[in-house]
Amino acid sequence: MEFLRMFSGDLINGIILGAVYGLMTMGLSLIFGVLKVVNVGHGAFIMVGAFIAYWMFTLFGLPPLLSAILALIVGIALGFFFYYVVMKWLLEAPELSTLLATFAIGIFLAEVAKAVWGPDYRGYSWNVGSLNLGVTTIPMAKVYALLSSIVIAVALYLWFKKTRAGNALRGVVEDKEGARVCGINVEGYYALSFAIGIGLTVMSGVFITLFVPVGINPYMGEVYTIKAFVIAVLGGLASPWGAFFGGFIFGLVENGSYAILGLIPGVEPFSLTQCLAFAILLVLLLLKPEGLLGKK
Amino acid sequence: MLKIVNLEAGYGPMQVLWKISLNAEEGNVTALLGPNGAGKSTTLMSTLGSIKPWGGEIYFEGKDVTTLPSHKKVEMGMTLVPEGRHVFPNLTVRENILMGAYTKRASKLMKESLDLIYTLFPILKERPGQKAGTLSGGQQQMLTIARSLMTRPKFLMLDEPSQGLAPKLVGEVFETIQKVQSDMGLTVLLVEQNVDITLEVAKYVYILHEGTIKAEGTSDTIKHSEDVRVAYLGI
Ligand SMILES: Nc1ncnc2c1ncn2[C@@H]1O[C@H](COP(=O)(O)OP(=O)(O)OP(=O)(O)O)[C@@H](O)[C@H]1O
Ligand SMILES: [Mg+2]
Repeated sequence: MEFLRMFSGDLINGIILGAVYGLMTMGLSLIFGVLKVVNVGHGAFIMVGAFIAYWMFTLFGLPPLLSAILALIVGIALGFFFYYVVMKWLLEAPELSTLLATFAIGIFLAEVAKAVWGPDYRGYSWNVGSLNLGVTTIPMAKVYALLSSIVIAVALYLWFKKTRAGNALRGVVEDKEGARVCGINVEGYYALSFAIGIGLTVMSGVFITLFVPVGINPYMGEVYTIKAFVIAVLGGLASPWGAFFGGFIFGLVENGSYAILGLIPGVEPFSLTQCLAFAILLVLLLLKPEGLLGKK
Repeated sequence: MLKIVNLEAGYGPMQVLWKISLNAEEGNVTALLGPNGAGKSTTLMSTLGSIKPWGGEIYFEGKDVTTLPSHKKVEMGMTLVPEGRHVFPNLTVRENILMGAYTKRASKLMKESLDLIYTLFPILKERPGQKAGTLSGGQQQMLTIARSLMTRPKFLMLDEPSQGLAPKLVGEVFETIQKVQSDMGLTVLLVEQNVDITLEVAKYVYILHEGTIKAEGTSDTIKHSEDVRVAYLGI
């Protein structure tokens, strides 16, 4: 009974964390889908968002939900900046160039963060009560993170399906030459997608801080880059919606394995969960390499 | 209507077009014939602006549009049916068609354009919800032509519309092109390798070979000029 209680608690937490993972990966998939660029510096933008949340909270008492809006704006600005300064010039170049360039952007951001804020681990806690679900108690902060992630994903979906710009972007994703002859400014949409992708990523960094009490530091991004890659592949790589659902699956596997591993005597579950999550995903990908939701 | 003067273009270090000049007269079908790799697609793509011209000038209705980005040219009334169709495979037929009405000018005329293309292409009206990628080759070609008409062009470039189609379909596609051209008063620049049908449809023909214009003249002249036929068209 005790196990079942713990396990269902873990699953609920997995769903919540999964939503944030999904949001964290949508930007990566959007950028890949439109520009065919794998953003290796992805995690560094999450780190930027985490620091925005931290400083806004500790300096001005700004709650993370408001920081998220600020992070989105900062992220969009950063996205446009790096697009026009770096990415724009590399789109015709071999794939390795964009990999190296985004890798360099990631290192650059992390080093700037270290130079300005130092290498320390930081954290804050946003106490807004908690929700008792019987099997487990969840801080309201996490509930807000879950709800915000879903709202943002739905908003992005509607933007894609219902607006003129969203439709044009679908055209660019499908066939860039076809989009061009319809009078769509293909390069303009490249810039916009990169900016929105980075904006979403920086914003997700704000929500990530609600799950890592003392984990904010300049190099925190690396682990999220890897997780986002796995989630993106799970979701079929080029689809932001696939990524969102991939996030749920990853969150469930990561958290669900915690309780199960705890049953094995002599095993310290925390360090093993991440290993197991990746192992399960590896098996999944071997069996279904196009991703769980991807098309053949 | 469209005038190209000494156009040069290429890819990376490789020059493909060497000072090409041609003229597409208003209300006519002008054709650009030539063998594989002659530079026909390169000419059309640099005219629309999907690749940047290295030199020369392009005039549309008397205005210098050489360096204008392609979306501005489409807004002005130029467009291209690209080689190899380029439909949006996972969007529906209807979504594909509506994408053609993206520009401000075209979106104002959308209702009217829809009526027009549904009369021309009844097959597209029958399957609005089908994914474009699942259409047959001929249907996809019709769809790209319909989509290009939705942009309300005055000047339409067509890059090998007969490519990969069964002979019967080729005839159908060309009939449609002729009908559209005369109904809408379009100016057409047609790129083809199918010599016979092109000489029938076009009024004036340019022969492109290894990136230069080797001959030009009315269809009749070209048809009867033995030299041109043997040297560049291989027939
Ligand atoms: N994207 C590209 N990058 C590099 N070279 C290219 C590219 N596209 C075409 N070329 C080269 O430019 C030359 C002209 O090509 P182009 O496509 O304009 O010929 P074409 O007359 O349209 O031929 P086809 O009848 O086969 O379509 C060819 O030698 C081709 O190999
Ligand atoms: Mg060609």
